[in-house]
Amino acid sequence: MYQGGKNSKFVTVLAVILGLGLMLAGCGGDDPAVETDPTAGAGGDATETVPPTVTPETPEVPEVEAPDYAELPPSEYGVDDVFFAFDEYDLSDATMSTLTRNARILREADVVVVIEGHCDERGTVEYNLALGEKRAKAVKDYLVSLGVPAANLEITSYGESKPFAQGSSDYAWTQNRRAHFARR
Amino acid sequence: MKHLHGNLRSLLLVAAMLCAVGAAEAQTGTDVVIDHTRTAWMKTRILVNMLDVLSGGMPSVTAADEVQDMLVNDFRLSGLMLPALRDVEGDTLEYFVAIEGSVEGPLRDANATGEDAPVTLNLNLVSWPDRNIILNKRYRPLPHQLRTSAHHFADQVIHTLTGEPGICLSRIAFSRGAGDRRDLYVVDYDGENLMRLTANRTLNLCPSWSPDGSRIAFTSYRDGRQGVYALDTSNGQVELVIAQPGLNYGADWHPTGEELLVSLSHSGNPEIYRINPAGEILRRLTVSPAIEISPSWSPGGRDLVFTSDRTGTPQLYIIDGDGAGHRRLTFESRYNDSAVWSPTGDRIAYATRVGNHTQIVVINANGENRRVLTDHRWRNSEDPNWAPDGRHLVFASDRAGAFDLYVCDVEEGTFRQLTSGDDPDITPAWSR
Repeated sequence: MYQGGKNSKFVTVLAVILGLGLMLAGCGGDDPAVETDPTAGAGGDATETVPPTVTPETPEVPEVEAPDYAELPPSEYGVDDVFFAFDEYDLSDATMSTLTRNARILREADVVVVIEGHCDERGTVEYNLALGEKRAKAVKDYLVSLGVPAANLEITSYGESKPFAQGSSDYAWTQNRRAHFARR
Repeated sequence: MKHLHGNLRSLLLVAAMLCAVGAAEAQTGTDVVIDHTRTAWMKTRILVNMLDVLSGGMPSVTAADEVQDMLVNDFRLSGLMLPALRDVEGDTLEYFVAIEGSVEGPLRDANATGEDAPVTLNLNLVSWPDRNIILNKRYRPLPHQLRTSAHHFADQVIHTLTGEPGICLSRIAFSRGAGDRRDLYVVDYDGENLMRLTANRTLNLCPSWSPDGSRIAFTSYRDGRQGVYALDTSNGQVELVIAQPGLNYGADWHPTGEELLVSLSHSGNPEIYRINPAGEILRRLTVSPAIEISPSWSPGGRDLVFTSDRTGTPQLYIIDGDGAGHRRLTFESRYNDSAVWSPTGDRIAYATRVGNHTQIVVINANGENRRVLTDHRWRNSEDPNWAPDGRHLVFASDRAGAFDLYVCDVEEGTFRQLTSGDDPDITPAWSR
């Protein structure tokens, strides 16, 4: 339907791979509960991921020194942004798999983060503010369902007012339809 | 040389007006009748005579030139008049009214000296050619007050001749900036006197003037969370109105100035509320799991129009001030938002999606006579807002690249650019 989906998924898959790498380095072991199929995001209709009903195992205490979660932006310790389809706030399979990983890190970090909802430039300022909040709220609700304390998740929306990529290209639009994790 | 150039320009202006008259007269042959339309042949032709400079030297000459030009411009921008400066067109057109007057001074009072001394403006609206005085006004402006005096006189003349409220003293507040920072600005209705209102290194959006112009409510992310704030236009002081958890935005003053409509999402999703200027919730008007935003009072303050996506797409609805009497206003397009009720009460302007772009629509409050004012040449046109005359609309469009503000004469379908520059200008609000 629109060109942006491919980019979005590509970015997400990259994020998943990078994130997994970081995770393995940090924890030094397998964690079957959060093992995700790296092709799930790119496969499109292939897998219908059911949100895990079992709380994932608590990761072992990392041997390396824990990051200073309160001081770092969440992206620095592996919490990645997630992306949305045009005019939508539903979570895609790729988004849910990123959030599953984010959830594990956020449970361990136990700091308050702000989930910012963002939109592309199409549409009105006012409706995009509401849409951005819906996106942030959908992300928060999913993370809470994965055991992240609701008190640690604040949400806000910037609508179309703080784009990550400038311009009116499909690429820019794909980049700007996101939920961004920010330090409080 | 300069004089010749001026003459040439004026001649072109007259030629253009003659063309406009011809086109309008040709149009009257059709059966198309639009309410409130004042086509060129119905416009009041008004002659602006050169003002007499009685004393004061160059400052008075400069003041006279500026006032003449401003009056011609104000009359033209009203959409109700066809003005001409006297010095060039002679008796080419037939006039029934004219402006004449004089400039004196600056008077050298004990305390006022040099450039800061006031001039005396004596301005008359007279019948033409017999020169009976219809309206006389006398002003004593300091140099920085000259524009206000000329605008004031233009408004008086427009109101006297047409019965319509002039908009020459009105102003437009809007949000300008990019990235992490957007500030509120204000500009005169003719594009002059641009001034920044906020400076807090964050996002400031969606201004709304109180009916008396003393305050501008707006949405800001200052202090780290989004809230509705109010700026006192006399001293620039900003006070918090309301900052519930979640979104707080879309403020619209009630015509009495005693309360506002806002969207708040603290209940889980945005709903419409009535609050007072102290930020106390008076009444919740909508209850649904959908997005309810962008409220706008009718000029009588009884009903309001707002956006809801309860059917799956954003559409416009009208309810009364108690939240009752639901009716859906829009059925065309899958995306309608940013409705504003006209000060005349009969029409509502809003933004609609056409293809990949947003365009401006005017519709009767009863849902009839839907007209899309902008087309694909305007790329995206958003955030319409009415002038107090109910005839002009200001809106933001990115047709020139970045978003700038434009003004549309809704009756004639003509446009003019109000602001320009690389930083996007969005969410304009016209003072009452």
